[in-house]
Amino acid sequence: MLNNEMYVIAFDSTHHAIKSEKEIKSQEINIKTIPTPREISVSCGLSIKFDYNDLNWINNIIRENNLSTSGIYKIYRKEGKRVAEKLI
Amino acid sequence: MVKEIDAREQACPKPVIMTKKALESMDKGEIDVIVDNEVAKENVSKLSKSMNLEYSVSRDNENFIINIVKGEKEEVKEKEDIDICKPNLFKDTTIAINSDKMGEGNDELGKILIKGFIYSLTESLPYPSTLVFYNNGVKLTVEGSECLEDLKTLEEAGVEILSCGTCLDYNNIADKLSVGGVTNMYTIVEKIKNSTNTITI
Repeated sequence: MLNNEMYVIAFDSTHHAIKSEKEIKSQEINIKTIPTPREISVSCGLSIKFDYNDLNWINNIIRENNLSTSGIYKIYRKEGKRVAEKLI
Repeated sequence: MVKEIDAREQACPKPVIMTKKALESMDKGEIDVIVDNEVAKENVSKLSKSMNLEYSVSRDNENFIINIVKGEKEEVKEKEDIDICKPNLFKDTTIAINSDKMGEGNDELGKILIKGFIYSLTESLPYPSTLVFYNNGVKLTVEGSECLEDLKTLEEAGVEILSCGTCLDYNNIADKLSVGGVTNMYTIVEKIKNSTNTITI
């Protein structure tokens, strides 16, 4: 259910999000494409939810493929409310 | 005179408590309880029933008015404290999903959207009580679907997940069903027809 803590990469471009999903999945990294959480942006964008341990790996893939992201966020609960903290 | 209890915008179980207090504070008479949601309406009705009181429900725009009559001889026997807030987890809503894509347009985008839709369902309370999948929708409940994890989350929480057997069979994927149960058109008709609310994606 409502996850307590998660890490996501947010994208401005739907095409870049889809391309990233494909590239990351082709390396058999376990990720999940989700609608960008409201705490990050109210626009109807896409984000990729990932395991923090894979961060460097995923970052490399994104850089190698010239994909642009709008940031990497940690989402967690603070005093009962969900907040997004921008990591990169 | 009919006493009015305004229980709008009150979180469960507040409307029930307010109703109970009002009823206890009078010997006999009538009260109108005003609530603004289905769950509160059900809960207040349940309370009246459990107290053996006559009640009727009417609708006023967005609100429900439950009129409860307390007679002189009414025997107030309360049953076990009804697990009042439980229905909060579910809304009497069926969501019908007839495709493995959401909306018309680009297929790749449609698949991303339906995936996002099902994920978002897991994050939004109350949950619908039932999800029915038919035609290409059944491709979401079988092996290899990227929605399985989210559908399993919903199923574990108690959401009923049903896939059309005819459709699974037609697509030769009946043996690959990975979440929820198989159903037939009769059940699909009932689910769609009998829910307070049915949403077709």
